[in-house]
Amino acid sequence: MISDVKFNFVKLWAWLAAMFIFPLIWVGGLVTTHDAGMAVPDWPGTYGYNLFLYPLSTWLYGPFDLLIEHGHRLLGSWVGLLVIFLCIAAWKSETRTWYRRACLGLLGAVIAQGLLGGFRVVLDERTIAMIHGCGGPLVFGYASFLAFASSRDWKHANASIHSKGLWRLAWILLAATITQLVLGAQLRHALPGTSPVGFMSMVHLHLTFAGIVTLVILGVYFLVRTYPYASEPGLRAPANALVGLLILQLTLGIGTWMVNYALPWSETMPSLARYVISAKGYWESMLVTAHQATGSLLIAFSTWLICRVGRRQIALARKPDSRNIQVQPSAAVKL
Amino acid sequence: MIRSDLGNRQLLPAYHNSVGWLVMLFALCTCAFTGCGNSKATYKPNDLHAASLTREGSDLEPRGVAKAASALVEQWFGSLDAPRWPSEILGGELEAVRMDSVNRCAGPVGRGVDKVERGVYRKHCVSCHGLSGDGLGAAAMLLEPYPRDFRRGTFKFKSTPIGKKPTREDIHRTLYEGIPGTAMPSFRALEESKEFADDIDDLVEYVRFLAIRGEVERRIIALHVREGVALDETSEQLREVVRQVVEKWSSASSDQVTVPESPEFIHSPIKNPQEHSELMQKGKSHFESELTACVKCHGTSGAGDGTSQDYDEWTKDWTILAGIDPKHPSDWKEMKPFGALKPVLTKPRNFHWGAYHGGKSPSEIFKRIVLGIEGTPMPPVARAQNGNPGLTDQELWELVYYVMHLEDRS
Ligand code: HEC
Ligand code: HEC
Repeated sequence: MISDVKFNFVKLWAWLAAMFIFPLIWVGGLVTTHDAGMAVPDWPGTYGYNLFLYPLSTWLYGPFDLLIEHGHRLLGSWVGLLVIFLCIAAWKSETRTWYRRACLGLLGAVIAQGLLGGFRVVLDERTIAMIHGCGGPLVFGYASFLAFASSRDWKHANASIHSKGLWRLAWILLAATITQLVLGAQLRHALPGTSPVGFMSMVHLHLTFAGIVTLVILGVYFLVRTYPYASEPGLRAPANALVGLLILQLTLGIGTWMVNYALPWSETMPSLARYVISAKGYWESMLVTAHQATGSLLIAFSTWLICRVGRRQIALARKPDSRNIQVQPSAAVKL
Repeated sequence: MIRSDLGNRQLLPAYHNSVGWLVMLFALCTCAFTGCGNSKATYKPNDLHAASLTREGSDLEPRGVAKAASALVEQWFGSLDAPRWPSEILGGELEAVRMDSVNRCAGPVGRGVDKVERGVYRKHCVSCHGLSGDGLGAAAMLLEPYPRDFRRGTFKFKSTPIGKKPTREDIHRTLYEGIPGTAMPSFRALEESKEFADDIDDLVEYVRFLAIRGEVERRIIALHVREGVALDETSEQLREVVRQVVEKWSSASSDQVTVPESPEFIHSPIKNPQEHSELMQKGKSHFESELTACVKCHGTSGAGDGTSQDYDEWTKDWTILAGIDPKHPSDWKEMKPFGALKPVLTKPRNFHWGAYHGGKSPSEIFKRIVLGIEGTPMPPVARAQNGNPGLTDQELWELVYYVMHLEDRS
């Protein structure tokens, strides 16, 4: 169980790591939006300098693509450092063995991400960029899981009802958000020679999964509001947050299409007929990047929902009077 | 998949450190996993053109013809990552593109050790216009109108008559302003930031390069199919094609049409309603006259809902000219395997919305009306010159005034 020392360093570092991976994903997304992956042609150094010694003035006031690429690398090393702190803290004060191991796992994942990013550059290989782009949000989901697993709710979750339906739905949601993210990455990282047919199929799949994610989130939302789940206040927060994110994400998705390719109905409305895409505009690239960043938030929030539902399942299973209630076998392992 | 040419990006000393071996090991694993490194970006042969030319009265195999033509063109104009200029054919006198700009735009995206950014075309344009400039970029199928296929050498918004090439300024204007209501973006943001200020100028050169290369490719395919000219590097007939195409581009600026000075009423808004309605009356009569036939396409109210509907030249090229009916899917789908996209009618502009694709200044609209819009059904208006019947400059400006004032300003 979570240690009862006054100040929980594990929790601190776990939350800090997750909170810094998000901007890392954001800047990484900007790198893709601006096709700045090769703005620095070498790795692990920067133009022959050590990453940390690269003169500030050259990149801070340099071209934008160099700024974000180098910034992404610096932020990445900072996240690596935070995760190392997390591992040290976990080793000192965390009593759950699996949690300690999971912290090491996170460190491994962050290092792997860093290496993938490096190879993308050394080999100038766009396919690796795509894998690296998918890895980021997964690492973010993982780090958020560690943060949630260090939270008070994890320890004190209590439940009176059995939530198998919600449990299933939460996992479906996680799978759907991850799939959706991978599909989105196919669009953002389409190789220069991608065929129009292949790209169009990806767009259609991405739209289909947008529909699926929407339905599942709405399902979760209505489920936590209806009997018997309504009596579980801890489930409402993730459900509400997911709906909020969903609305944001759908809007950003339409916006992303609009600032990249213009909306297809230019013949129907004067404002669309007059609309001119502004390539590489500041707000435009922020909007596109926000769409992918919100995608990874959706993954993290689905993880949150899973944690909340799962902990309640387990609490219920451990109640002496509820032995007759059937619990998902996977959740019944001792956590 | 694109790999860097190591010439530009020599591995820097910092790379040779202790993690080097680890890097390589991991790289190998990743490569084995993704199967990278086995395809290089190459020009796509013009299969569609070969297919439409060989469709009737020829038993040549279109893909083979296109491939051979592409290989020959590659000898003259280089590969996708390493463009070259056929000076051995052209000598020193014909200048049509600046090759340093072309080199900077070609190849994979990224900065070299010299910090110069390369691959600017792939960074900004390839998702729509495609690697070869064939308008078959990844997003092409989802857009309307389709992205321009540069290889035909036909451009819509320019200051030169039908059949002539656009000037550098014309293409620059398109890149700077973008095309409203279409997917063609404005790249103004590049020019306004100091580190990317040269990008548009360089991209203009690259568009010219791709257009020249593509048109040479088309023409030698035609010569081969129609006249049986062997696709041989030394063939004087084929080399002449290169000269002719380049010549057209290098002389474009002398074909530029000057816009006559515009009358007062074009610039200063007319406050007197009487005067305004008189001008509108005159404009309307030109708009509806038989001579101009504007209403046939743009409709009596100018809403773009006239009776005449037609396809653009890029579509007719492989449909009507090849004996295919673009209206019948069973017919045109035959060309799909060669890269044909579904034929779409070109919509005449709706003037109520004031969305001018070639620029909304009076002089731009004047140019569109006088010169027509090449590649589309929009014809040039008959101009009263040397005793020919047509509109005088004054009448043309009245027409411009009328069209501009059809815009709903509510
Ligand atoms: C998002 C898609 C998209 C991108 C990116 C894009 N274009 Fe276009 N472009 C189009 C479309 C669509 C058209 C056709 C518009 C029309 O026919 O009215 C077009 C037309 C053009 C034309 C023809 C204008 C004329 O007068 O006929 C040129 C030249 C051009 N683009 C150059 C570029 C260059 C250079 C870039 C990169 C810097 C670029 N485009 C990026 C979609 C795009
Ligand atoms: C045969 C049909 C046809 C006729 C006749 C015709 N137009 Fe057009 N017009 C078009 C089409 C099609 C377009 C859109 C071309 C495109 O951008 O693809 C167009 C576009 C335009 C534009 C928009 C240019 C821009 O920059 O967006 C103007 C202005 C225009 N026409 C004016 C006229 C006037 C004035 C006349 C009569 C003198 C006329 N047209 C006659 C078919 C026609």
